[in-house]
Amino acid sequence: MKKAEIICALALLTFAGIGTVEAVRLGFGWGPSGPRAGFFPFWLSLILGACSVLILAKAIRMDPAGETARKPFVSKKSLRPVMAVFLPMVGAVVLIEVTGFYLTSALYLAFFMRWMGRHSWVGSLAASLLFPVAAFLILERWFLIPMPKGMFGEYLPF
Amino acid sequence: MEALANLIHGFNIAISPFNLMIAAFGIFLGVIIGVIPGLGGTSGVAILLPLTFTMSTTSAIVFLSCIYWGALFGGAITSILFNIPGEPWSVATMFDGYPMAKQGKAGQALAAAFIPGFFAALVSIILFTFFAPPLAELALKFGPAENFAVLTLAFSTFTGLGGGSAAKTIGSACVGFLLASVGLDIVTGRPRLNFGSITLLSGFSFITASIGLFGVGEILLAAEEALEFKGVQGRIGLKDIWVTIKTLWRNLFTWITGTILGFWIGVMPGTGATPASFMSYGIAKQYSKHPEKFGTGVPEGVIATESAAHAAGIGALLPLITLGIPGSPTAAVILGGLYIWGLQPGPMLFVEQKDFVWGFIASMYIGNVMGVVFCLSMLPVFAAILKTPYAILTPLIILLSAIGAYAVKNTMLDIWLLLVYGVIGYVFKKLKYPLAPLVIALVLGDMTEEALRQSLILSGGSLAIFFTRPIAAGFMILTIFLFLLPAIRPLARRVGRTFKVEEVKKAGGD
Repeated sequence: MKKAEIICALALLTFAGIGTVEAVRLGFGWGPSGPRAGFFPFWLSLILGACSVLILAKAIRMDPAGETARKPFVSKKSLRPVMAVFLPMVGAVVLIEVTGFYLTSALYLAFFMRWMGRHSWVGSLAASLLFPVAAFLILERWFLIPMPKGMFGEYLPF
Repeated sequence: MEALANLIHGFNIAISPFNLMIAAFGIFLGVIIGVIPGLGGTSGVAILLPLTFTMSTTSAIVFLSCIYWGALFGGAITSILFNIPGEPWSVATMFDGYPMAKQGKAGQALAAAFIPGFFAALVSIILFTFFAPPLAELALKFGPAENFAVLTLAFSTFTGLGGGSAAKTIGSACVGFLLASVGLDIVTGRPRLNFGSITLLSGFSFITASIGLFGVGEILLAAEEALEFKGVQGRIGLKDIWVTIKTLWRNLFTWITGTILGFWIGVMPGTGATPASFMSYGIAKQYSKHPEKFGTGVPEGVIATESAAHAAGIGALLPLITLGIPGSPTAAVILGGLYIWGLQPGPMLFVEQKDFVWGFIASMYIGNVMGVVFCLSMLPVFAAILKTPYAILTPLIILLSAIGAYAVKNTMLDIWLLLVYGVIGYVFKKLKYPLAPLVIALVLGDMTEEALRQSLILSGGSLAIFFTRPIAAGFMILTIFLFLLPAIRPLARRVGRTFKVEEVKKAGGD
């Protein structure tokens, strides 16, 4: 936990740093029409920076033998189930880029149900066909919301 | 009496067949969202927001607010029958609800959640109906300085009443504000913080943020806890309803405290149903004649939490509709919806959009009646949803989240951001950074910045403007007090003993 706290505080500090640099570039002082574009981000970045330094200081001073500090951020036992959800999620997003939303949703559902849930082939296939068809009708036909089509975009008429 | 005439006019709008249908549909979906753990009210409303793009503005807000009411009802079902919170605001309902269910009194526990919750909602809506117009009238007199003061007050309540680490709370709000400032500068029109990217010129969408932080983050957390749904069977008979009404009568004091406290906490910007339910439980326990029985299955425990949660849900929309400031993260998503529908949230709605405002207020009465009727009559249907295997539910929620994120701006970037927000949500939850300030800052960012810059232009750059105007000064003094509260709290610890800070932090969210 201690390491995670420190890393997170450093990430916030970096974020504040980027904000400050950009705000300085834009100008944070008084311009012809009142405060310049960088005015608001500048002060926010400073406050965020101050907060992250405080969090960092508290995390560093945390007793390394204490209960909170020793508790791992993710225990070894729970890392597997978290990754089992997260990695297919990342895979699905990559796949949406390539093959579009509908084909991806079919593959993703089938994968999850068959390999994660150990459902029968019939059930997995049925669900993975039903969802894209239903989603297509609801989104594209009734609510006129287009979803990404990936590389098939040019060939499909809808 | 003018409010009454307006309300009747509102009912004429709200009971049009289409609006009734959309309300019923919203309640139904809302209860389902409430029942499913890992799909919360905030991300649920955000996911379904794109469906409103083709509706009229009145139908759109009826739909979204009814999802919220439905989710407020639905969370209790999962808590009581499965001992898993369906929503963060129903965590405290588990304390006594589940023990009751295990003793074979599931029907009574559920009735003790729905019926007092419904009456609390009803009282809150009546308060809402009569408080909203004068508050809006007062807010019409606000200039930029007053607006900025109210907005900072909204954020100070997070640090003052949120109960988490002050640095983490303020930091989280700053991240939200910084993300909100990406894109075109609202005053000068200059591109900023987009680092040359054209996609980023339109800024970060709060919808993606709320779905990712609350929805995807929650899924990852749920995966870690490896939830197992081992439920208790529950049915509500007429006898259960009768017993509950008698219990409610005996515990009228608990119910009244819960309702008033809940409404007040809900109105306070930033804090929603979750802290309200915990505080109400704490107070009910402290003033009970038999506090030692709390946690073993006493109906008062359920009455206290649910009445406060429902009242807070209604209260959270009061500042939203009158001041344009959301009272809870879910209300923030609804506020974002108002912007997308092309409305300017705030007091002018009461002048320019009478049909919208009063149609919406009338729909709150209708929606909550529908909610309690649906829950009492269709309980087995909703409980059956929890039999859906985890391996179907998880990918479905993720796919729905992707649809919700993509549909707003039609950019793939939003789907990628969903992953990033999901990780941030997971890490923030684990390290106890509150998420609500981030989302609310993202929604209110432009408004806050505009109010601040306009005030400074008016005053020629002097901060004194916030302290020389009486209303602004009042808000500012309160704001400073709330920001300093974490520092002076150790002195006042005795007063705050009823507020179970640790548990609220654990529950997170709304």
